[in-house]
Amino acid sequence: MNPWLLASIGLAICLIPCGVAVFRGSPIERLLGLEMAGVIVSMFFITFSEALGNPNFYDLALASGLMAFGGGLVFARFLERWL
Amino acid sequence: MTGTVWIFVLLAIVVLISLVCCIAIATVSDFYVRLHYLAPVTTVAFIPLLIAVIIHEGAGQAAIKTILVFGALLLINAVLTHATARAARVRQLGHWSVDPQENIEGAAPRG
Repeated sequence: MNPWLLASIGLAICLIPCGVAVFRGSPIERLLGLEMAGVIVSMFFITFSEALGNPNFYDLALASGLMAFGGGLVFARFLERWL
Repeated sequence: MTGTVWIFVLLAIVVLISLVCCIAIATVSDFYVRLHYLAPVTTVAFIPLLIAVIIHEGAGQAAIKTILVFGALLLINAVLTHATARAARVRQLGHWSVDPQENIEGAAPRG
């Protein structure tokens, strides 16, 4: 079995508790689950690209990391007062 | 130990650390304690991943891109954690500077 595929499956399983955190608690606590999921997805893209032997997914890892930053920051900003 | 075994060990470390931190995000009660669990994933868990990629691919395009992602996540996560903590405090107190009742040592009072 390809270790990278196993790691991808393991990281995908990590998204389950992040999903639990996103669907529970106050809005600011849900944001935490979203931020953690963003980081895990970036790592997932790296292991998955190694598993498939396709280096293009690395760009996805970087892009998803940067977009998770923008999204999280906008949520954090609006959650201060307006949401 | 051959390269594959090293990769197995390193990736197991990555997945274990990530899983512990994700479960902590979902189960720990205090919000500000939970915030701390964002950090190990982008620091302690990412380094074995980077080493595994370098072992597997050598010092080429994949390693450079992984270093880029690592650097980006390192910066991003610190800023995001601070912004989230600040948002939580503003939601709780209406402002984020020091509150007189908290009597934090050495902190300048508000206003």
